[in-house]
Amino acid sequence: MLQAVVLGGLEFSPLVVYCPIAFLMSACTRFVLHRLDWHDRIWKVAWFEVSLFVCYLALTVYLLGGRFSQ
Amino acid sequence: MTKSIRMLITLLVIVCAILSGRWVWNDYMHSPWTRDGRVRANIITVAPDVSGWVTKLDIVNDQPVKKGDLLFSIDQKRYQAALDQSKANTEIALYSWQLAKHKYERRSELSRQKAISVEDLQSSRISAEVDKAKYDLAKAEQESAQINLNRTQVYAPVSGYIINLNLHQGNYVGQGKPVFAIVKSDSFYITGYFEETKIPLIHLNQKAKITLLSGGKPLTGHVVSIGKAIADTNTQSNGQLLPQIQQTFNWVRLSQRIPVDIKLDPLPKGVQLSAGMTATIHLAQH
Repeated sequence: MLQAVVLGGLEFSPLVVYCPIAFLMSACTRFVLHRLDWHDRIWKVAWFEVSLFVCYLALTVYLLGGRFSQ
Repeated sequence: MTKSIRMLITLLVIVCAILSGRWVWNDYMHSPWTRDGRVRANIITVAPDVSGWVTKLDIVNDQPVKKGDLLFSIDQKRYQAALDQSKANTEIALYSWQLAKHKYERRSELSRQKAISVEDLQSSRISAEVDKAKYDLAKAEQESAQINLNRTQVYAPVSGYIINLNLHQGNYVGQGKPVFAIVKSDSFYITGYFEETKIPLIHLNQKAKITLLSGGKPLTGHVVSIGKAIADTNTQSNGQLLPQIQQTFNWVRLSQRIPVDIKLDPLPKGVQLSAGMTATIHLAQH
């Protein structure tokens, strides 16, 4: 279940907000992996990161989608 | 770390991504929800049934009114004069009819004594019947004049709230021209414009959760109707009544939106609804 997001009187499609959140989470993960030097241990980093982004997007949709606002 | 474990981790994340991506797609595209919902209400436009100057205005904008409350009055003088004239005409017609009836009764007596011809008797009978019809006509005109006089007082047709009142004392109002509107109390409902691809997922009495743009606790309701028709530009005709078909060459076409009406359950306290507000609607899935 998706929820429209209202910011200062503007209503956004939920994915317009959820995508940047997922992107930020992916960037954080990338940063942490670099810091811990685990980056080189991953096979096909680009595939891994894109897949992680999709997983984060689904997680964001699930958590912020208004399922728990009863 | 061996290469196989490294590959396994990446492959696991990819599989997760495929599954979760599919879930997001289904959630977004194939669940009955829309951001394109509007609060609506039954609006009654108030138009006077007679023309004239507004002599008394008893309401202000956004005021609550009850059914039968006096809203405004229109100058009665002309309609009062018309009624008086009609009453006088009715009286004249009544006396004419009584006179004709009297003549006919007298001629009936004379006819029995063979003092007048049958033609004279028939003539007086028809004359009496014509005068009776004239009396009925005058009575109907008097009734019409009385209705016009009564309609100079404009009463609220329903209970509700006055909307967009730009009427002032002294304005001239025309017969049948709306002067303001009333939003009927407790008539609020929601219309959601759902993509046609989602219509198979919608059925009557389906429970709905409505979130207003203004926030607050979600409202609840149920589907009461699914629109059975929307406008089609291809059905327009030209001057020769030939159908004007739109040429399309788009690769991508948008799905049509079908209006679905949702009746609201009793509202929680403190919820302010105004017709036209924006709402997000989620329908329950079974």
